[in-house]
Order: sequence, then C-alpha cells, then structure tokens
Amino acid sequence: MFAVIHLADFALQAALRLAARPAASLPAALIDPAQRPSVVLACTPAARSSGVEIGQSPAQALARCARLVILPASAPASADAQAALLATAFSLSPAVEMTGPGICTASLQGLAPGEQEPAVRQTLSQLAALGLHATAGLGATPLLALYAARRAHPVLAVGSARDFLAPLPLAAADPPADVAGILASWGIHTLGQLTALPKTSLAQRLGPAGLALWERAAGESERPLVCVAPERTFVASWESEEPMETLEPVLFILRRFVDRLALELQTAALAAAELILTLDLDDDTSLPRTIRLPEPAAQSDTLFRTLQTYLETVRTSAGVTAIQLKIMPIRAAARQRDVFDGALRDPHRFAETLARISALVGTDRVGTPVLENTRRPDAFHLVPPLAELPRAPEPAIHPPLGLPLRRFRPPHPATVELEGSQPTYVWTPAFHGRIVELAGPWQAAGDWWEADQFWQREEWDVGLDPVGLYRLVHTPGGWFVEGEYD
Amino acid sequence: MSPSAANLAQLRQLLAERFPTAPRPDTGVLPTGLPAVDEIAGGLPRRALTELVCGAPSTGSQLFLTQLLAGTRRQAVRVALVDATDNFDPQSIPPAELQHLLWVRCQAIAEAMTAADLLAREASLDLVVLDLVYGSLPALRRIPDRTWYRLQRAVEETNLVFLALTPARLVASAQLRLQLDRPHPLARQQTPRPKLVSDLAVTLQLQRHAARQA
Repeated sequence: MFAVIHLADFALQAALRLAARPAASLPAALIDPAQRPSVVLACTPAARSSGVEIGQSPAQALARCARLVILPASAPASADAQAALLATAFSLSPAVEMTGPGICTASLQGLAPGEQEPAVRQTLSQLAALGLHATAGLGATPLLALYAARRAHPVLAVGSARDFLAPLPLAAADPPADVAGILASWGIHTLGQLTALPKTSLAQRLGPAGLALWERAAGESERPLVCVAPERTFVASWESEEPMETLEPVLFILRRFVDRLALELQTAALAAAELILTLDLDDDTSLPRTIRLPEPAAQSDTLFRTLQTYLETVRTSAGVTAIQLKIMPIRAAARQRDVFDGALRDPHRFAETLARISALVGTDRVGTPVLENTRRPDAFHLVPPLAELPRAPEPAIHPPLGLPLRRFRPPHPATVELEGSQPTYVWTPAFHGRIVELAGPWQAAGDWWEADQFWQREEWDVGLDPVGLYRLVHTPGGWFVEGEYD
Repeated sequence: MSPSAANLAQLRQLLAERFPTAPRPDTGVLPTGLPAVDEIAGGLPRRALTELVCGAPSTGSQLFLTQLLAGTRRQAVRVALVDATDNFDPQSIPPAELQHLLWVRCQAIAEAMTAADLLAREASLDLVVLDLVYGSLPALRRIPDRTWYRLQRAVEETNLVFLALTPARLVASAQLRLQLDRPHPLARQQTPRPKLVSDLAVTLQLQRHAARQA
C-alpha cells in the first residue's frame, strides 16, 4: 500500500505560507515575476469567487478583485514548503519518494492496515500546523494513490481500482495532447470507457503512448519508489521583496522555519545544539549571530523562543531583506537527571531570562563572578553560569575572618586628617566622622613588572563615630574609602 | 471599621469570588544556618518575600548574604543577586561559594527592580536577593507598593525565596521582616566568620501567617 500526499496549487501555497499574516486571509493570486507578460498562474478560492481566473493579467485580476494580493512565485518558499512536505512524509515511512512539486509518495508497508489512514490523517495535521493544506490518497500502487490524492477531501483510500478509476475523466491519466484529441473524437471521455477498449488494438492504433495511457487508466502501472534520504543539513532561508522593518514579519517567517526544521530534527532523532541566524540588511550589511543552546533541544517552541528573545534585543540600522537560519544538530542526550546534580531545572527558560537581563543591564554586567589570580583589589571577571554545579567542597579549615566588604564602585575620594602618620578624621561626599577605632596600615603592591599595571596602596580599617567600619586606602592618587565592612 | 478598610475588604471578597484560586500548600522554608533566623522563623519562607532591614552601617547584611551563599552552595541550588548599587565584593567570599551565584550588577534602582521581576519568575533559582541597602532612600520610597505585590505574585508561582535587603522598611508585601540593628566593632574583624554568624543579632519585625512553619 502507498500513500501520496498532495499539495494542490503548490507554488501558491508555498508563497502564501511565508507571506505576511494579512495576505493569508485575503484573496491572493500567484504570478511568475520572470514571465512577460505576467499572468495569474494560480489563485485562492476566495479570489476565484471574486472573478479572478488563471491566465488573466494582474491588472485584469485587480479590476475584478480590488483586495487581491498578488504574490510572486518564490523558489526559496517552494523549496521550504517541499522540505516541510518531505519532513512530514518521513513521519509515515522511511521509504519516501519526492514525486514532484508538492507531491510525495510513501510506502506504507510497515503499517498495519488499520493504522494507515489514521497515520496519514496525522501527517495532514502536521502539515496544516506548518501552514500547508494537503490531501492524501491511499492505493495499491503509487499511481492509484496519486489519482486518489488529487480527488481526496482530505483523505481517500482506494478499495477496488476498477470501480474507482472507471468514472474518472480521461484527463486524470494525463494523456498526451494528440492522443487526447483522437480519443475525444472517438467519444472516449472517461478512464472506464478507455479501458473497455482492447489493450492490444489500442496499442496498434495509438502506439506506445496509447499503450502507456491504457495501463495508467487501468491502474496497472507499477513502479518502485525512487526513495530520498532524510535531510541531514537543517537550513532554511528566505528573501523578501520589501525590507522588513518590524519584528513581527521576521518572527512570522522564523516560526515557519523553526516548525519545519524542528520536525526534520525529530524525524532524524537529533536535537539542535546551536542556532545560526543571519539577517541581511537593506544597507548591504548582514547581522550574523550564533546562539548556543544551554541544552540540546528539538521542540519548535523552545527554539523559537530562543530566537525571539535574541531578536527582541536587536536594533538594526536598516530593514531586513533576507533571513537564513541554520541549525547545528547533535545527538540528544539521554540521561536522567539526578536530584542532587545541581543542573538547571529549565535551562532554556534560564537562558532566555539571562538574555533579557543582559539586554537590560549589559552583557558584561551579568554572570557568575570568578576571581582572578592576583591580589589586585576588585580583580574578577564574570562568566556565564555553569550548566551543572560541581560538588561543593568541604568547609575550609581556616575560615575567613571578619565582616565581608561592601565595595564602593568607584571608591569615595576622601579627605583625611592625620596625627603624625595616623588618620584621625575622614570626610567623603557621602559621610564623614571621627575615627574612633583604627587598624593598620597594611602595605600592598603588585604588577610592578608591568609599568602601566603597577599598583601600590596602604590600607587601614577604621571605625567611625558613631557607627560604621570602613576600609580606608592611601594610594599615589590620594585617599579613598573603598568600602564598608558589613 | 473605617470606610476605606471596608471598601478594601469588599474588594478582596469580590476578587476572591471572581478569581478563585486553590489554596497553596506551605512549601516550607530555606534554612539560613543563622541561629537567630532559624530559631524564630525556621528559615526564609519560599514563595514569599522576606525583607531584611539594615538600619545602620556594619550591622552585617553582607555577612548574612555570605552565610546564605555558603548554605545554598552546600545544597547545590542556584542564587541570583540583584545588586542595585553594584556593591558586592566577590573577593570577600571563598571562590567555591561563588560558583552557584548569578550576579546582576545594576546601575539604577529601576534597572534592579526590572531584573528582580524577571528573576522572581525563574524556576531554576532557589533564592533571589535584591540588595537595595545603598540605594537612595527617597528613590526607594518612590517604588510603589504595587511593585512589591507584583513581585509577591511572581514568587508565588515558583518555589523560590525572595530576600530584599533594604535600608528602611519598604517592602509592603513582605511575609517576613527581619532587622539587623547591632553594628559591629572593629575588634570583630579578627573573629572567624562562623562565630560572627552565630552571634549575628537579628530581630523579628513581622511574620505573616503564610510564612510560619507548619
């Protein structure tokens, strides 16, 4: 048994799928921009009911329907729709043939008879979620399944080939034009009338073309499927006629890309490790960005949210003219989490929150602090949070002494009154007071081997009247209060 | 009952009828390891806001934070510090006790409140600390009460502890309010930190019903 998934008006559906949202609900017609003069190649039922017909010029079509959206046929849009069709067909069977534009044939050999039609309906639902409306036919041969798919609403399973084929018009078997003319002159209009003629007599009169037509009309032509392999590169791209100046159309197209690519990843039992998004801008620049996912993922919602979070932080100097999304796949980890392993509970959501906070405070102002290997004051850098926490070390045998510092950034410049070499009173723009407790000084210096890095200081711990413990430092640049012990 | 209180009660009743919610189970507390806190409140309540008022310099708010960092590191849970005035000093903390910390170095109160609002909804965190101690008090007093109630609503959806370090009573929706009011003398700078922690003077100012241990 074979199933054929058929997308009627394939090029129109493909163009509509990536068109801006309003176009999807309006009457639409497809033209080929390379063809001169341009004519309507296909139109939606809404356009047809307004009087638009195939073969009209765009001006004629617009005269019939003022709300008509004229869409140019787009090779990238057709390629993306074809890839989506293929990805859904692989959910039916590993033996899939790309029969033609918008037509896919799958062998259902591995499915029990009772499972075949529900599986095909499920595939049509997946396609509908990807913005494509398909019909499906099931038949004993690929050809029968194709005939059925073209007439299905939305699924048609062929039981008896003879009963199914007999009433079909001759055009269903795609007769060559000259043969169709001869048969029409004989009064042959249906496949049943054709197959009622003796096969050998027809072959003698119409030659090999007539013989092949008879076999097609009888549903006898059997052929092996020319199977294709599942996609191993996960790329989607789109070029826009007009630059996109707001986020919404970019997100709309990315949603379509992500839905299709996620399905391809799931079919291949892979997950996304990195998303590489490239936006080409109207000023001939491009904005590439590699987003490393905190954890491999193949769910379209997760991938889309990651892209959306990034794009919400992006400001471009010009409109977006082209979008390319590439997914770097990886084998999804199959490990059950340990309650005590310190991993993030929802790594994707955490990464999104982090991206939002980075956009708010700056990417260099959020992260996990790591101390640098130096005694230079305030020497640290921030790194992204660890995906999994290492085991906590045993408590130190010699714990730190005293209160931790609450550091002033920058340090408060101070005016200090001295008695001999000892500070006795301190003024800063924030506070001042008599020094009632004092410890120090402690001398420190470092990086003397690098002229521009050399630092030198004298530290005092002071207690002010009435309260407050502070770190007072004397450097070649003057006196400063570096922080409060708190 | 005053007219305004009656109106408020009526509004609450109306909201409760219009938007009924299932009673939430008490999901417990985060032990702090600070005897003064754990003895009076059992720890810091989850799904609730706790306010730690630091009314004077050197009363130990950073020591309190240090202790929380050490405790949460042992439990292998994540902590976020929203540092409104960029005062945190990582060099004062053992490096191993920083590995689970997400430090957000803000430059304005509004920035800190927005970051806190985002983090208060984060399922991967167990503790969010919002440090406002060195924020300008007039600016802090201008934070509307509804902001604190919004944060309360946010943490109710998670299982995290939200701790606000403030220079004065600010958090209208706090379930637990503690105060540090004993400044440390300079001599204590030679005392081991565990001893300082065990001696830290924390007083209970407010403990609403939901924060009490079952």
